[in-house]
Amino acid sequence: MDPDTVAKAFVEHYYSTFDTNRAGLVGLYQDGSMLTFEGQKIQGAQNIAAKLTSLPFEQCKHSITTVDCQPSGPAGGMVVFVSGNLQLAGEQHPLKFSQVMFHLMPTQGSFFVFNDIFRLNYA
Amino acid sequence: MEEQVETLGKSFVDHYYHLFDADRSSLSSLYQPTSMLTFEGQKFVGAADITAKLRGLPFDQCKHAVSTIDSQAAAATGGIVVFVSGSLHLLGEEHPLRFSQVMFHLLPTIHGTFFVQNDIFRLNYG
Repeated sequence: MDPDTVAKAFVEHYYSTFDTNRAGLVGLYQDGSMLTFEGQKIQGAQNIAAKLTSLPFEQCKHSITTVDCQPSGPAGGMVVFVSGNLQLAGEQHPLKFSQVMFHLMPTQGSFFVFNDIFRLNYA
Repeated sequence: MEEQVETLGKSFVDHYYHLFDADRSSLSSLYQPTSMLTFEGQKFVGAADITAKLRGLPFDQCKHAVSTIDSQAAAATGGIVVFVSGSLHLLGEEHPLRFSQVMFHLLPTIHGTFFVQNDIFRLNYG
């Protein structure tokens, strides 16, 4: 499978998990993973999942506008850059976001997120 | 260590956009033959092709203004991931463009300086 297809499939799986079972995101990070969420730094799968599950909304829906990916070097990882919209239940206007996800490929043949940087795009 | 990553990221980003705004051709020093750029969805590989693309952008003068810089150590590769958002002012244009850029640096062993291995650039449409 070509890298673009793999990246797109991972991104869709990530946001589907986020939107339907946020606690399940813990399975997509590891102990060494890092998230910078709007400038706040969080390390490790447990802490990252705790941050994401505690965000101040019950329901949300990510819709992806762009996905760009590149292989990052001999370790077999990929850099993925996503932009899109985040619709919160009850809010009239969706938020625009950008997210950098850097995956490593574990030996079992699936991906986890090692570096994660999330920013809202303010107008 | 974290502060070091932040400081390194910020100084590289400042240097990168300074070169971009002052002398776009000199950006070739910040890429290598294995470097990759995805510019608004279009893919380029290698310093020569990347620099040609950036030099060929349809404006003479520009000024990048950085709004946010987020850096993280990418331990598995020994590099740093940097995510930048900001505004791009083009000479003669009334409204600045908003952009997001992902730069992933590796640290060469010889000189101790950085180059851009992965580069992804997108404009943020309103």
